[in-house]
Amino acid sequence: MMVTVQRTGGFAGLTRTWQVDVDAEPDAESWLVLIDELPWGQADDAPSTQRDRFIWLISAGTRPAKEATLPEQQVTGPWRELVDRVRRTSEAEAGDGSPRDDPHGRA
Amino acid sequence: MTRSIVPPYLLAHLAEADATRLTRAPEAARHLLAQLDEVHSARSAAPPVRQGAIAADPVLERTIADAHGTEELPGDVVRREGDPAGDDPAATEAYDALGATYALFDEVYGRSSIDGAGLPLDATVHYGLDYDNAFWNGERMVFGDGDGEVFRRFTSSVSVVGHELTHGVTQYTANLEYQGQSGALNESVSDVFGALVEQYLHRHDTAEATWLIGEGLFTDEVQGRALRSMKAPGTAYDDDVLGVDPQPADMSGYVETTDDNGGVHLNSGIPNRAFYLVAEVLGGAAWERAGQIWYDTITNGSLSTTADFAEFAAATIAAATERYGDRSDEVRATVAGWRGVGVTVAVEGGMSH
Repeated sequence: MMVTVQRTGGFAGLTRTWQVDVDAEPDAESWLVLIDELPWGQADDAPSTQRDRFIWLISAGTRPAKEATLPEQQVTGPWRELVDRVRRTSEAEAGDGSPRDDPHGRA
Repeated sequence: MTRSIVPPYLLAHLAEADATRLTRAPEAARHLLAQLDEVHSARSAAPPVRQGAIAADPVLERTIADAHGTEELPGDVVRREGDPAGDDPAATEAYDALGATYALFDEVYGRSSIDGAGLPLDATVHYGLDYDNAFWNGERMVFGDGDGEVFRRFTSSVSVVGHELTHGVTQYTANLEYQGQSGALNESVSDVFGALVEQYLHRHDTAEATWLIGEGLFTDEVQGRALRSMKAPGTAYDDDVLGVDPQPADMSGYVETTDDNGGVHLNSGIPNRAFYLVAEVLGGAAWERAGQIWYDTITNGSLSTTADFAEFAAATIAAATERYGDRSDEVRATVAGWRGVGVTVAVEGGMSH
């Protein structure tokens, strides 16, 4: 199962993407537990006075894909745990020379 | 106060209409315009209305806090108004740039702080770890230190600080909704006044100004001068990792997307360039006339919170007409600015700019 986190918005308006193939991870089971417990289907539609915050689009799997779009300030608790884990794992594997889908993934 | 229910720029069209088709309308329009001209001359000679003038004298009250690399707000206070600078460059940059932003709005537009009534200016520095961002949270400005590879600390650019504080001004005035075209306008208004803060600080006129937003944010590793260019959207950076600056410079490049609240940081390039063109046509200091027109537009109550580019453009033309008169250089420059980026200003009756 592919887990993808995409970050848009922010002052710079740059898009960054990180991705992990959970099935290829040594601790796949813990990933699946975390993914399973998350409240998927959340959309960001609360009015807000926050400006230049990041927006996170988080997705896991296919058929059907689980998706959530969250403003940065709502990426807390288990959501934050998943995002941090995907970023950490993806960046560590990039260091190993693993291919990254997003050529503009650095910032 | 004499006002015409028919907008002056429409009267101007009528006044010059083909007299073989219309006989009485052009003369009636010219007569009404002459009456309005008298009122406009008197009004534009008057000093700008000071919002909050009933309140106390203009007050600059800055407080800088330090989040020490956490994401807890507000953080610990490290500098209050009037305190000497400490040894943290981020705190000093934030303090100085808040002052520069206050100075533009107060000295040029007669506005005391974000709300026009001396609202305290609060900023937090050292937010998060390797945090490549700065934001306005509805109450304060918050700055990250950057990752050190692509981005330096976000307090290092005066235009960034001015941009964030202007989100506060917009919140208290036009309150443009932060999505789609109104969101791109919200972003553009922040870039406009962010740039003007920097220009006013350095006393750079339109020709001398860089028209860059976030100049100095990138490290030397990055092939790019800044995050955005108002003069030439799409040219601010071209880097092998970041890619090419994706901003459009006119409506032919308008980006339809669901990312970034509908591309608010992308499509802002179009109204940004419109502002630049108005300033370029007029010449001199951009904060004086182009900036005044934009300031009037967001503060005169004419904009809906969901204004699109066409509505905003019409409002800038109306504001310029109000202050400078309908056949003024300023109105002509404003019309030219929007035409230059392909924004059509629709007028009832089918005539358009």
